[in-house]
Amino acid sequence: MLKARHPLAIVFFPAYDWAISPTHPERQERLLYTQDQLREEGVFDIAGITELKPELATATDVLRAHFCFPDVAAVTTTSHLISAGGAIRAARTVLDKEAKRAFALVRPPGHHAMKVVHGARGFCNINIEAVMLEWLRDQYGPLRAAIVDTDCHHGDGTQDIYWNDPDTLFISLHQDGRTLYPGTGFPLELGGPKALGTTVNVPLPPGTSDEGFLFAMREVVMPLIEDFKPDIIINSAGQDNHFSDPITDMAFSAQGYARLTEMLGADIAVLEGGYSIQGALPYVNLGLVLSMAGLDYSHVREPDFDAAKVRQSAKVTGYIEDVCRDILKEARHPRGPGKGDVVAGWFTRRKTLYYDTDAITEYQTEAVRLCDHCRGVVKYETESTRTPLCLGVEAPIGACEKCVEEAYRIYEAGQIKGEYRHLQLIDRVGKNYATYTG
Amino acid sequence: MLCGIDVGGTHTDAVLIGPDGVVACAKLPTNHDDLLASIREALASIAAVAGPAAVTRLTLSTTLTTNAIIEGTADPVGVLVSGGPGIDPAAYAMGAYYHVLAGAIDHRGRQTGALDLDAARAVINAWEAAGVRAFAAVTKFSTRCPDQELALEALLAGRCDCVSLGHAFSGRLGFGRRIATACLNSAVWRVYNRFCDAVERSAAELGMAGASINVLKADGGTMPLSVSRTLPVQSILSGPAASVMGIIAVCDIAEDSIILDIGGTTTDIAVFAAGAPLIENEGIAIAGRPTLVRALRTRSIGVGGDSAITVSREAIQVGPRRLGPPMALGGPVPTLVDALNIQNVIAVGDPRASYQGILAVATANGFEPEEVAEAAILNAVNQIRSEVAAFVREINDRPVYTIFELLEGRQVRPTRVYVMGGPALALSALLQDAFTQEVVVPESFAVANAIGAALARPTFSVELFADTASGRLTIPSLGITRQVADNYSQAAAEGEAATSLRHYLASIGAEAEDAPIETVELSSFPMVEGQTLVGHNIRVACQVRPGVSAAYKQAVSKSC
Repeated sequence: MLKARHPLAIVFFPAYDWAISPTHPERQERLLYTQDQLREEGVFDIAGITELKPELATATDVLRAHFCFPDVAAVTTTSHLISAGGAIRAARTVLDKEAKRAFALVRPPGHHAMKVVHGARGFCNINIEAVMLEWLRDQYGPLRAAIVDTDCHHGDGTQDIYWNDPDTLFISLHQDGRTLYPGTGFPLELGGPKALGTTVNVPLPPGTSDEGFLFAMREVVMPLIEDFKPDIIINSAGQDNHFSDPITDMAFSAQGYARLTEMLGADIAVLEGGYSIQGALPYVNLGLVLSMAGLDYSHVREPDFDAAKVRQSAKVTGYIEDVCRDILKEARHPRGPGKGDVVAGWFTRRKTLYYDTDAITEYQTEAVRLCDHCRGVVKYETESTRTPLCLGVEAPIGACEKCVEEAYRIYEAGQIKGEYRHLQLIDRVGKNYATYTG
Repeated sequence: MLCGIDVGGTHTDAVLIGPDGVVACAKLPTNHDDLLASIREALASIAAVAGPAAVTRLTLSTTLTTNAIIEGTADPVGVLVSGGPGIDPAAYAMGAYYHVLAGAIDHRGRQTGALDLDAARAVINAWEAAGVRAFAAVTKFSTRCPDQELALEALLAGRCDCVSLGHAFSGRLGFGRRIATACLNSAVWRVYNRFCDAVERSAAELGMAGASINVLKADGGTMPLSVSRTLPVQSILSGPAASVMGIIAVCDIAEDSIILDIGGTTTDIAVFAAGAPLIENEGIAIAGRPTLVRALRTRSIGVGGDSAITVSREAIQVGPRRLGPPMALGGPVPTLVDALNIQNVIAVGDPRASYQGILAVATANGFEPEEVAEAAILNAVNQIRSEVAAFVREINDRPVYTIFELLEGRQVRPTRVYVMGGPALALSALLQDAFTQEVVVPESFAVANAIGAALARPTFSVELFADTASGRLTIPSLGITRQVADNYSQAAAEGEAATSLRHYLASIGAEAEDAPIETVELSSFPMVEGQTLVGHNIRVACQVRPGVSAAYKQAVSKSC
């Protein structure tokens, strides 16, 4: 009988009664065939593999990671809270040592959800990895975390949330933003002034197959993780790099995903995208599960897989080698923060963001205080086509006394001033999460 | 009148029940080497009281197949499997004759790899030459498309004693379980059929030719002997089911409750939801192999009357080991019974031997003997309480797959604890202190398990799977595969599953009012390709829940 070398907990929640719309890729049917495959394979009968039920994340769990305008209830549904709660359950199981590793096989996904949330973008409302990681940090103290996003789309939401956090290494491997939504994730996006080099982007050309992905893992991702020395490794395990995915142009296989997973050795994996629900997901998820559990996955392959037919061209190989070399150099020796201006001791970025799923446009100014003693208080002024001007202020984990004071001063001044419709304060030092509507 | 016989490890119990109650009962030692002799003897003693013609229905619970599997006396089986992509089928190998063929079926039941029939022929020739007479053929996803298993069956036709096909046992998924189930079924086929022949002969000789003969299953239901001949694996591990069905017959259990059966070596825990026993989600395991055989959901802990007491300065612990009978009965180490003996809760055997034994371990660790006895009893009660709590928690924490179930799913909240077994009465006061629920000790009934066997009604379950995009419908356990129209609906599927189940039950002679059919799973997923709705993926599971014959229940039930 099979026995997992690494005890693995799987939080499986397919949300069989939830869809964005009847024919949307995020529909009831999405994980049906994956569940069939896992059950037929007897995955849950393997000694050391356990199936767990998700929890429901609370509004406070969301407010720890996000600024939600007008409020949490308006931008989430129960399904999002279950999805985030599933990720939390997975992570808790690992931190409490009830399993060595955990896989939150949940939907809907979250990696396009940014720090400020006005609605859904890229099928995502709240960032389930961020809600999970900030819950972990709240419960278990400060953790150095590496998040490796292997979804085909740039993990722009996760990047935005951890842009100013030097204790979170975010690496995204994705199809080049010049050819795919959301159109970002270029090598020179390297993090804010206090967290330079802890955001890393590896855009890969269309047609990249197993060789290219594994090269990027070996040559960029793993060396950077080794430099960073994280306490915990999280995989945003999107599965839409698959050669059969209907909305992307890559050529990754189930075997490739399983090998990537083995190489990364993530403590926690969280499902992101992946919409080839019959031809890819059953096999990719099986490969991931077996790989995480330290079991043989060599017989996992798609019925129609022909490695020669999908293998990347020599030109693609050459291009990836060049790009990876440059990225490793830039990430290790960043040349300075990218776009932004220093205004009175604050580093300020202006962003215009489009929420494709909900058709909302947001205009946002993010400013981080250039503090000599800590990461610095961060404030967001934001308005969207749905909600008038709002203010979000965060005193991050480890903020100095001055920055915490500054956060409260800005939050209270904002209330008195009366120019903001909704205000939200995140005080990670005092664990105080406050909202105010003007 | 209904006759039940439970052939247990130690005793064979028999009972005859008429419309007004128990007419005859017998308790005999089990002859391990000749189970048939035990059954004959039990039947004869019943016939002696009531006359053979009085028996209209006979139900047997036997350890025959269980013993054959656990003791390794079953036949060798030639196992042909095809796996396709996934976990290496070598992981599920059973016995010396196991061969993996090329061939694949995917999750929707599409054949994605042709079955290698030439290789199968060669393997069958070799195994036939080696004297293999029992075969099993199992393919991955055969519940969605049995064609490859049927092709293997055709190759084996006329060349062996039996072929077990994976899809015949259940529509539930689980390739490894399906392999084990089919293989074990063929392994016990010959010995079981011989046994059936002998039982039928004995019944006829005793003048009971008119009685229908049934066999108890692990899920607390019965099946006719004739059906069990092709599905002998369904008769494994029926012992605990007989006890649980006995409690249902004797007590009127209507609410969520716990059943504790405190025996010599273990305490068995069963849980009732709204008066019906819970069924294991997937199937029961035997000899370390999970199967698709449905069973009552029970849990066992190593705390019983004969469980050894271990004493150290830090802790006093009961079980999980049993090192022999209590010292009161000449055993080597003090047990829970000895502790109850010196606290004057019970009086078993020689209480002085109990006292001497506990005194020795107590003084060695600086305790008074009464302290040790009290702590041991408390430890046993606490172990039982925490195991029950963990079991209920696990049941309530079972995974669910819809938001509705996650938010609104039914929780089991037991309000009563029924305690059976030797030390039941002795421990009841302490158990009442430990549990917030009401603790009930039913009036002891020596042959409750045989009553359970006698009154159990038939159970069966069907799973229907329809894929209107590919136009295919299967009900694997009934061998139904047919074309389906693209407007086939969820309601039609539910109706068809229930009707097919009802027809099947009628064909095996079950009475309709005795077998209420319920739908336990019903879903229909719109299937989308590109942006277009191409069909529906419909799944239905229907079952007849275990229960006892209503007509006779009145006759045996007491106020508990």
